[in-house]
Amino acid sequence: MHSTASHPRATRLRTLALAVALALGSFAAQAEEFVVGSQIPLTGSLARVGNGMLEGIKVAVEVFNARNTGNTIRLEVIDDESVPAKAVAAVEKLAADKVVALSGGYGSNLIGPASEAAEKAGLTYVTSGGVSDELTRRGLKHFFRINNNAGYAKAMAGLFEEMKLSSVAIVYSTKDATEGLAKAVAADLEAHGIKVTLHAFDPAITDFKPIINKVRLQDRAEGIAMVGYENDYVGILRAAKVLKPSSVKAVVGVWSLATAQMAQEFPELMPQVYGTAMLPFPVEFKSEAGRQFATAYERLYHKEPDYLGQFGYVQSMLLFEAIDRAAKNGTLAKGGLSEELRRTDAETIIGQVTFDANGDNPHFSHRMGQHQNGKVALVWPDAEATAPKQFPGVPW
Amino acid sequence: MKPIAPVAVLAAAYLLVPLLLGGNAYLMTLLVSALIIAGIALAWALLGNLGGMVSFGHAAFFGVGAYTSALLSMQAGLPVLLAIPLGGLGAALAAVAVLPALRLSGPYFALAILAYAHIFRILATELKSLTGGSAGILGIPGLPTLGGLELGSRNGQYLLVLTVVLAFIALYRAIWRSDYGLALRAMHDSEDATRVVGVNSTLLKAAMLFVSAFMTGTIGALNAHVINFLDPDYAFSGAWTIVPIAAAIFGGYRTLGGPLLGAIAVYLLDQLLFKALFPSGHQIILGVLLGAMILLSPNGLLPWISRRLQRRPATEVRHAAA
Repeated sequence: MHSTASHPRATRLRTLALAVALALGSFAAQAEEFVVGSQIPLTGSLARVGNGMLEGIKVAVEVFNARNTGNTIRLEVIDDESVPAKAVAAVEKLAADKVVALSGGYGSNLIGPASEAAEKAGLTYVTSGGVSDELTRRGLKHFFRINNNAGYAKAMAGLFEEMKLSSVAIVYSTKDATEGLAKAVAADLEAHGIKVTLHAFDPAITDFKPIINKVRLQDRAEGIAMVGYENDYVGILRAAKVLKPSSVKAVVGVWSLATAQMAQEFPELMPQVYGTAMLPFPVEFKSEAGRQFATAYERLYHKEPDYLGQFGYVQSMLLFEAIDRAAKNGTLAKGGLSEELRRTDAETIIGQVTFDANGDNPHFSHRMGQHQNGKVALVWPDAEATAPKQFPGVPW
Repeated sequence: MKPIAPVAVLAAAYLLVPLLLGGNAYLMTLLVSALIIAGIALAWALLGNLGGMVSFGHAAFFGVGAYTSALLSMQAGLPVLLAIPLGGLGAALAAVAVLPALRLSGPYFALAILAYAHIFRILATELKSLTGGSAGILGIPGLPTLGGLELGSRNGQYLLVLTVVLAFIALYRAIWRSDYGLALRAMHDSEDATRVVGVNSTLLKAAMLFVSAFMTGTIGALNAHVINFLDPDYAFSGAWTIVPIAAAIFGGYRTLGGPLLGAIAVYLLDQLLFKALFPSGHQIILGVLLGAMILLSPNGLLPWISRRLQRRPATEVRHAAA
């Protein structure tokens, strides 16, 4: 009796166990590890920015794999040593290693040839490290980027327009990305009736006093726009601190300026200086996705995330999600990843991202931060602002 | 080396390498990059050995050749295979600007030519309407298909660059063995003495400068059509001078094959072995290796190998006698 009474229950249990085992088995069969390649400069002239982006890419792998979507990502990284030929070789090595796509690249001069090699290999290539307009003009089928020159120009010009300045002197490096951005900002400001003077400088120069003297005595500009890199900003601000151009009400730069690192390393030069910034410092995220990124980043690197990590994270996460979707709908093996990525329409921690026919993100617009009392506050646009801007205000 | 050795090396380079490694685009890319460095190293060694000039500015000729060929093929619509030697001629023409520096010697010449490289970089940046300025040029046409051989493929690139480098070795050898070569080598011992016997040393040095610039410019042009990209920082990078010098010294810059051997050894060891062991900082091992080579064999790798090969038969003879 006992046995007959318990038999159906035992059968049901066995059936249930079998069903669970089969379900797990089929899940395990479907779950797959995809290898994503990253060709990125970890040594050479772009080492600092390349390493910063890689941190974000690794955080994306960590966060994506923790989601248990059924598919996981493994990263294969090759240092391109900031050399174009080695960037091409890295892409070809990764293609030979059968990666499904590439996330990485920094500097338009490396991304250009590397993404062409990826195109030849039929590999999807997503980046945030090159803002040159030339990259998307090529019309490559497998090239994507989440940021562009237009988004930087929009933020810089938007801030100046909000300040209602009558004249701006743009001091820019003759490098590729900086020159393009300077011209775009100039066109935008002139369209809004702001008088613009342009001062180009060779990337090798370190003494900016002659240029600042022109701004002070000849232009009598109300704003200085700096379009360069860290060393250029430091040189320009040092020269301005010596010469104290009295007409200037605001000094605005772009990337790598409104950062915690600059606040800590140059406390005497940074007060009230503006720069593009996706994050305030100390870091503060309003969205759940942002907090998830920051938590994972701090757990991995024991420091607060920066904009490089943030961009690397977003580009990679969008790619991983597209891989997951393509794997599930069976198009990944048929070369459908780029089409899947092109269908992206996501609200991310850098704003909305979609891709046009050339792989560019038409929604990209940067935010502007300002150094305020050793911190970085977001001050533009109003919707993202964490503090009002201190205007007029200069470091001298 | 026995006479059979060069034939075996050539057969291996033209047949075995494409057959065995042709399917691996990564390895072929590394070989093409190594051959590009070999070409510059050879041109640098020629100027040093025959012209008696130490150059720190070969990047100038490399960049001018690259830009000339890229612009001729893109803007003038010339076929790539014609634009490449014209790139070399462009570099030789640019060497005319360097002629005043021939009055200098030793470190003064080296520094002067370094300044020329910097001047050409600035010119490429400033001549925006022609060169695209700092934005550079993307989408430079690749190598074409010739007689059914796709030169734009990795195998095709390898075979073309290899052929050009070997042709330059043959040119170098022909000059070395000619009367001019004899006069040039005599100039090393005493330039005044060779002048006394009627050698126009300035003319010969200028000729070697033009030949070296042509070779470097041609290699720069080839690289532009392999990488399909140029910007002033890349085309005139100091790396196009420093790495070939290191490769030439490593391989044996006083020999014909030393720069080629040195470039292949240095580049492949660094990229395939040292980089795999130390993804970041592998260049340190390369530096140590170069230092060790200079201590072990100041004349470089090829003379060291030659000595070893010559010693072995002698040993065998002694064994036979015993």
